[in-house]
Amino acid sequence: MADAETLERREVPLADWATAVADARDAAYTFFDWLTAVDESDAEENPGFDVVCHLMDGSTPGALRRILLRTRVPEGTAVPSITGVFAGAAWHERETHEMFGIDFSGFDDGTGLGLRPLLLPDGFEGTPLRKSFVLAARASKPWPGAKEPGEGEHTKTTGGRRRVQAPGVPGPEWGPR
Amino acid sequence: MAVDLPMPRVGPATDLAPRPIRVVLNWGRRYSLWVFNFGLACCAIEFIAASMARHDFIRLGVIPFAPGPRQADLMVVSGTVTDKMAPAVRRLYDQMPEPKYVISFGACSNSGGPYWDSYCVTKGVDTVVPVDVYVPGCPPRPEALLQGILRLQEKIAAESLSTKGIRAKYAGHRRASAGELARGLVRRPATDGEASTHG
Repeated sequence: MADAETLERREVPLADWATAVADARDAAYTFFDWLTAVDESDAEENPGFDVVCHLMDGSTPGALRRILLRTRVPEGTAVPSITGVFAGAAWHERETHEMFGIDFSGFDDGTGLGLRPLLLPDGFEGTPLRKSFVLAARASKPWPGAKEPGEGEHTKTTGGRRRVQAPGVPGPEWGPR
Repeated sequence: MAVDLPMPRVGPATDLAPRPIRVVLNWGRRYSLWVFNFGLACCAIEFIAASMARHDFIRLGVIPFAPGPRQADLMVVSGTVTDKMAPAVRRLYDQMPEPKYVISFGACSNSGGPYWDSYCVTKGVDTVVPVDVYVPGCPPRPEALLQGILRLQEKIAAESLSTKGIRAKYAGHRRASAGELARGLVRRPATDGEASTHG
């Protein structure tokens, strides 16, 4: 990152997640920016999800300090909710829950309704930001153009290019396309 | 949504109106299109540019001051329609008085555009509402919208005043309500060849 000296990265064990965020808030990182997850289920060691939280310290004008907290969550494990630390994290945790299927234990946004869908349409099934989620539109809707670089009728095929199958592209068992 | 109102009529004699009267009435309709901008993404900026002084589509009789869909004749869907937004598009379209027209403005509302394989983008607004004119581009220039408006006006000028044609146009869509647009997950086809896709 360009301004790495103002950005601190901190790896946190899963059990200390909520206390680590609370400690960062007490250490002047009082602005909650965002919380999301990264699908690392195909990692070599310790596969799971990275839950990432970005906080800012804007107390000194002209010298913004930022911190990036990260923890690795194994599949199926609940993350301690930080809605008790930052109430505004409720939307982010709901979005992370519906997009990645990660549970947040102790989630409380004051409504008592729990982790419910936030952005996805009603009745949507699945967790679309996981790498295992298949983009079914590619199988169900024909497309007249080129889907990947080098597939167009106007581009020359070089032949030597290695095909990289992106996550979400349906496999051959979905039928011909 | 299930209320089945008869098609509003100008008067019993208009169906049999002679051609000069038809021309005059259509001339009046095509040059007073109160437009309702369904701006959903960046294409809405191009729509706004087309409504501003340089391109100025008011000179074509397109009036962008409709207070809401209930006062509008034309809906311009400009931008990416998502499955979450599709019921709202349908609901506002249902509220417009007939005869009503839709211009699909830009690649996203035509077909899904660059996001055609997304999990949440509707594959074209014509899966939700009937579309009269498609304007291609990503985003289209304001001139393209002017061309689309001219095309729509040619279409209106060619219409007969009988409500039969209008009724046929909406026949397939009259019963659909906004709640029916919710879409289930498309599943992997069964291995024994039986299709299990739905939605």
